Amino acid sequence: MKAALAVLRWFARTLTILLLVIVGSTLLVRFAPGYLSDAREMDNRYATEARSQLSAEAARSRSLPRMLLGELRGPLRGDFGISRQFAVPVSELITPRLAVSGGLLLRGMSLGWMMALCAALFSTAGRNPLLLWQAPATVLLAIPTAALATFCLLADSGGPVLVMALLLAARDFKFLDHALRRAWLEPYVMQARAQGVRTSRLLVAHIAPALASQLGALASLSFVTALSALVPVEVIFNVAGVGQLAWNAALNRDLPVLLSVMLVMALAVTCSGMATPRKAEWESA
Amino acid sequence: MNLSRRPVIGLAALLSLMPAVIGRAQAAPRLPGELARTIGYDPKTFDPAKVDDEESETIRNLTAGVLLRFNRLTQKVEPELAEDWNISPDGKTVTFTLGFGLEFSDGSSLTARDVAWSLRRVLLPATAAPVAEEFVSPAGVTVDAPNDRTVVVHLPKRVIAIGKVFDEIAIEPAERPSEGRVTAGPFFVADYRRSRYVRLRRNPHYALKDSAGRSLPYATGVRLDILENTEQEIRLLQRGEYDLIDSLAPDYFELLGKRAPGLVRDLGPSLNTEQLWFNQAPASPLPAWEKAWFQSRAFRVAVSQAIRRSDLSRIAYLGHATPAYSFISPANSFWYNRSLSAPQTDVAAAKAALASDGFHLHGAELVDGAGHPVKFSILTNTGNAAREKMATLIQQDLAALGMQVTVVTLDFPALIERLMHTQDYEACLLGLENVDPEPNAMMNIWLSSSPNHQWNPSEKTPATPWEAEIDRLVDQQAASDVTAERKKAVDRVQQIVADQQPFIYLVYPNALVAVSPKLQGAEPAVLAPRLTWNVERLRLQGTR
Repeated sequence: MKAALAVLRWFARTLTILLLVIVGSTLLVRFAPGYLSDAREMDNRYATEARSQLSAEAARSRSLPRMLLGELRGPLRGDFGISRQFAVPVSELITPRLAVSGGLLLRGMSLGWMMALCAALFSTAGRNPLLLWQAPATVLLAIPTAALATFCLLADSGGPVLVMALLLAARDFKFLDHALRRAWLEPYVMQARAQGVRTSRLLVAHIAPALASQLGALASLSFVTALSALVPVEVIFNVAGVGQLAWNAALNRDLPVLLSVMLVMALAVTCSGMATPRKAEWESA
Repeated sequence: MNLSRRPVIGLAALLSLMPAVIGRAQAAPRLPGELARTIGYDPKTFDPAKVDDEESETIRNLTAGVLLRFNRLTQKVEPELAEDWNISPDGKTVTFTLGFGLEFSDGSSLTARDVAWSLRRVLLPATAAPVAEEFVSPAGVTVDAPNDRTVVVHLPKRVIAIGKVFDEIAIEPAERPSEGRVTAGPFFVADYRRSRYVRLRRNPHYALKDSAGRSLPYATGVRLDILENTEQEIRLLQRGEYDLIDSLAPDYFELLGKRAPGLVRDLGPSLNTEQLWFNQAPASPLPAWEKAWFQSRAFRVAVSQAIRRSDLSRIAYLGHATPAYSFISPANSFWYNRSLSAPQTDVAAAKAALASDGFHLHGAELVDGAGHPVKFSILTNTGNAAREKMATLIQQDLAALGMQVTVVTLDFPALIERLMHTQDYEACLLGLENVDPEPNAMMNIWLSSSPNHQWNPSEKTPATPWEAEIDRLVDQQAASDVTAERKKAVDRVQQIVADQQPFIYLVYPNALVAVSPKLQGAEPAVLAPRLTWNVERLRLQGTR
């Protein structure tokens, strides 16, 4: 019963968030300067066509409730509407890009976690001063994602996965380092060490289970951070993912595309938020 | 803490797998003999009749089989699928004779029926082909195919430079349009991966042959990667992954030139112009006194005289631009008015002109006769470094007159909305890309009734006598078939524009391109497409 209620609550919350995304995005884009203009209007060759398309859009967006209903119809129909820029169903634009962005996120997060974990283990295990590990992490945290990506591009070394990984590693390292330091000093860990339990056994059987819920929350946070870095990384490295699509859609005031990307992202964030901190609730339920 | 190093070493070993997961967006592998270049974004359509964006036009230029081809180097129309063509003395009938044994890329034969069908399709209102407008009255145009090799186009009235229009109409198989999959041009669309690339393959049945009788095109195909990032594009060109860049911004040109001087070429002034104009629209929401400044010829001429165009060229374009005083570039050698008299840089004369119009200095600030300080903003678009630098330099130049100028950059949709819809702006700095040397192509700017008559769009009747004179001259040159008469009218329009300065022309940006040394047969032209207009004759070194 508790589980059913929890699921129901999650559905209600997700639905509310998605509706807010639809209303908010539609209003923002509709009232953004330049929604009813087109650069082709300045071009003698394409101006007539551009103006006729704009008139149709102006007629469609005259009534806000009708416009909102129209935008809702896209996701309900399954094709997410028709792109203003490319005149094709949005689902055709998004579907292949989801796999690309998903792959980038997965690889970026895996590498980022691996780097953060290694650095945290080295930092907590060795006799090296903490500063040796924290200084580079702090520097990386201070560099904006777009600047890091541009630097990698100009230096011709590293790609989108590395930039994403460095960004996540810098953030995750601080949490992991702190958590590990505390874990090593837990009385039961110290007692186990005194009894000669091997380090690998300590890590697997004692420390990892104790940190599981924190790691879950951190994973969720990493995912959200990675999503936020998706746009600059994909745009700068020309990765054909949803981040790049969202950027182009924003520049071209392509509401159906932008709205669909926002929905996908909102859904992903809601799901990630749902999965980890609720683990204990699910288990107790 | 002294821990066993083994698990740490184990984890560190995992790090060694890093290179395996550090991926980057990989382009499709290049096939032997294939040319490679980029386009900025996905083509909106592959249907050659419906092309209404630049990228789709690039694909059409590479794939379309056309009756006549416009040679970008000689700026003359040459036969392609038509081996002969002529225009009747009254200019209302165009007759084409097709070459023998023409075939589409799938091996099917190409006859006059296919040509007539393709032309009729373009003219149909349902197709909404932008090129149809170039026939002036497309509804009145009829097309006949009296036999397999003859096509006759009947026009309701003479159309100036009609030959070039046929360079934009792809001949497709009758009743089976294929979106570029079956063409009579040098290449056909073989593969398209959205947001990744478009791959064109050589048409084995292409009609043209080289002087030695060998079939064209030389290249086995063209791969067009969809890539928006210029840094990445020039890096990949340097690595040999791309063969050409059709247009480069001056800063990237310099950057690439420093790294690999052999790759870049400055072709001199292009047909494009950069200009500043003031909003003279009576319906604009500007205060009345500002409208009065902008409608004053003395004010506009003074601004023009205060701008140091040589500095714009030297600093904003790093030397890759030519000072401009007319809407026709010297690259358009026939139509350029060489005896044009335009206001040159002269700050003292500018101050005198302003004083004669009632402006005077109040301290360091210029004020008008009613005491309003002369303050205005110049709008321009974000992301164009040269334009932003020019706006800043103009701001400094006008400060010498006591004018306080603010530079405002907006993204394109927001800028267009201000220019074309709300007219809520004071001055604007933008460029015009001219793809056609024929002055008739610029009619939409000069006719006072046009929505693209930027300084005062869609006038019901000409607001000033000089605009009325421009209207008359533009109509006169469009109706005349005597080239000398047309030239005289166009020269006069250039002189009126120089006298009145509705557009203050600043520079002609140079045509800047990059070509790989491996690419043979390139004959860069200032007209777009600068490097691929003769794509059938391009090939990579070492290929057949």
